[in-house]
Amino acid sequence: MKFQHRQLSNGLTLIGEINPPGKSAAVGYFVRTGSRDETLDINGVSHFLEHMLFKGNDRLSALEVNEAFDSRGAQFNAFTSEEQTVFYAAVLPEYLIEITDLWAELMRPALRDDDFTIEKNVIKEEIAMYQDTPTFDVMDRCRSLHFGTHCCGQSVLGSVESIDALTAEQMRGYFARRYVPNNVVVACTGNFDWDRFCETVEGASRPWQAEPAERRLTHFEGTKQKVRAEKANLKREHICLMHTGVSAQDPRRFAATLLGMIVGDDYGSRFYWELVDKALAEEASMHYNPMDGTGVFYSYLRCGTRNVEQVSGIVDAIFRDLIAHGVTEEELAKAKNKVLSALVLKNELPMGRLVDLGFNSMYTHEYRPLEQDVEAIKAVRVAEVDTLIREMDLSSYTQYSLGPMTS
Amino acid sequence: MDEYVMPNGMVVLGEPMAGVESVAFDFMLPAGAAWMPPGYCGASNIISEWVFRGAGTRDSRQLGDALDGLGVQRSTSIGSSHIYLGGALESSNLAQALALYADVILNPLLNDEQFEPARQLVVEELASLDDEPRQRVMLELRKRFYPDPLGRSTVGEMEDLQNLTAEKTKEIAQSYLHIPETIFSVAGKYDFDAVRRQIEGVFGPRGGVPLSPREVESGGSRYTHIPNEGAQVHIGLVTGTARFVDEGYYNARAAVSVLSGGMSSRLFTEVREKRGLCYAIGAKYHSLKEAAGIMCYAGTTPDKAQETLDVIVAEFNRLAEGITEEEMARAKIGLKSSVILHSESSSSRAGAIGSDYYMLGRVRSLDEIKERIEATSVDSVLGFLRRYPFREYTVVTIGPKEVRVP
Repeated sequence: MKFQHRQLSNGLTLIGEINPPGKSAAVGYFVRTGSRDETLDINGVSHFLEHMLFKGNDRLSALEVNEAFDSRGAQFNAFTSEEQTVFYAAVLPEYLIEITDLWAELMRPALRDDDFTIEKNVIKEEIAMYQDTPTFDVMDRCRSLHFGTHCCGQSVLGSVESIDALTAEQMRGYFARRYVPNNVVVACTGNFDWDRFCETVEGASRPWQAEPAERRLTHFEGTKQKVRAEKANLKREHICLMHTGVSAQDPRRFAATLLGMIVGDDYGSRFYWELVDKALAEEASMHYNPMDGTGVFYSYLRCGTRNVEQVSGIVDAIFRDLIAHGVTEEELAKAKNKVLSALVLKNELPMGRLVDLGFNSMYTHEYRPLEQDVEAIKAVRVAEVDTLIREMDLSSYTQYSLGPMTS
Repeated sequence: MDEYVMPNGMVVLGEPMAGVESVAFDFMLPAGAAWMPPGYCGASNIISEWVFRGAGTRDSRQLGDALDGLGVQRSTSIGSSHIYLGGALESSNLAQALALYADVILNPLLNDEQFEPARQLVVEELASLDDEPRQRVMLELRKRFYPDPLGRSTVGEMEDLQNLTAEKTKEIAQSYLHIPETIFSVAGKYDFDAVRRQIEGVFGPRGGVPLSPREVESGGSRYTHIPNEGAQVHIGLVTGTARFVDEGYYNARAAVSVLSGGMSSRLFTEVREKRGLCYAIGAKYHSLKEAAGIMCYAGTTPDKAQETLDVIVAEFNRLAEGITEEEMARAKIGLKSSVILHSESSSSRAGAIGSDYYMLGRVRSLDEIKERIEATSVDSVLGFLRRYPFREYTVVTIGPKEVRVP
């Protein structure tokens, strides 16, 4: 595995991790922009813009873009979060350069009015789909509740109202401010030629001009409010808890990952033995989500309405016990094994490696070989996890519950 | 490619992979949903939960701790034909992990006091499906499309789950966890001799009477609507096609790829890109050993549901009228590329070689798959569509509004 890095004069960052025997390669354009970078009047624009990049540029129509990817057998897509918009493709090595070039071209989209109008319907269908997915819906609502007026509480999808009100002109303005080369990292992993990759991106991005693209980084302690909403068609209680965590730049992030595993892994965690094993809840998970300058822990619980009180009581007892007694050596050792196993499996695929590589570069501006993350996980001690538990105050969290009508 | 058939019939398969530190394995136990005796739908699901609640000398907690201590990424799933118990981990712990799984399969404690929570979890899982219309619509579709018992719910039926007792479930587990028909597969970094010796050492002495073949009935109703006051109408549609074991298989895959392989495919282009009717729209090929279908899902707001279904059916029907050379080329490169990209994942390979063996009695090499895909053409796919025309559609909708099947 060989790491390469280059910064172009317009501020665009290129990184790569080359694995010559690999059967494939993956390329990603990581744009440091998401719903937290929006103002309320354009909420949902980052995600809508992600869709619009697939509609082509002055040379290519939407159908031609899709044909260009498909004719090279690319497995390609994009996703938008509160803080990133990522465009990626996994391909056979012989197509890597062409696909890299195609994405570069799409980074300067036409944003045509008629495409914008028709895609608005697709976005509204996506919003409707997630309304019918309570697992997602409750987490989205809980994030808004937790972050209150902080920008990280803004919905990634936006609302039907905000999308209806959005104009193509507003989107063009947002694009011009955020898709500047100094706000983008292009990453590549697997079997590829670094020099040709650089030449391709450099050639395509030469006209791109650097502009300031600031992001306000403020930590937020969370509102710690508790809300319950009802929906007539629901049968189960869906509960999301959010704790304030440490940021993606914080050295304690490895202890935080392990804490999430200890409390809420799918199997063998405290939630598992106290709630799922006893069939009080069919799902109970917690995971740590590092973010830019802040961070959170999400917990998701799903159970029958008759169990809600008991489940909540047990969850609070687990938190109290952790505050009073901390974690054990044994559970930390098991959590490390599970985290390391997952890390190795994920990073064996170019696509899995690409995401870690890109995120590391965006958050910490440093290259971290896999071995360095492995060592950091291995080095975490019980005392560090216990300190984190006390510092973040596990007993205090935001809660959103979504369930059937009670009357 | 490693392959060994034990004297009792159990199969051990392996695919070594260069440059990986991980290993993945899968036990395919012939106790899937379709095998369960009538009136006990969901027994497979309870069994797969119950066997992990203590095995050999370990109680439930000790077993869970032992698996976690090895860093095993567990995967358990229920299919129509099999219960799949799988794991993936760093290769140095493989032998210990296999010893634990052997206990789970051969010596589960099946304690009475662990039965009720195992059953209750499955009951809760089934109840949860009411809140997940996207998943539920496809389960309901399979139930109605595949001849009974092939399409039976892999989760379970409420009445049957209520009827299952510890005693009855134990009896079912003992007759259906049938070792001679079990397929074991491993992929990634491993030593085949060591794996083979270990598996044969523990599973070799187990014999048993082969399971009797199933009676298969004809398929079910054409259209079902399940009312739900959600935001969307969730549409599931399926039509029959060539099976995995049939000569027409690769042509069927190419046909589905033209319909829904990538973002330039017909369904995505016509339903989403041109008309903006849906966010989620797609069709995929699905095959059991005995029957196969092309299954399509679309989710859309109530006012657009009828138009969405009409456009989908029109695209299915139009396929036999002609395919361009460009479409065919994209379908083929898409299929080939996907095969190669998946071949880099140890978990994906362990699953694929086991499934190949169950279906065909042998494992296909990547080269064979690539050649068979390469051999398809516009003519071969159109010829195939004449032999296997899309005659009937089975449709299920969940949502606030019914549709009319054209």
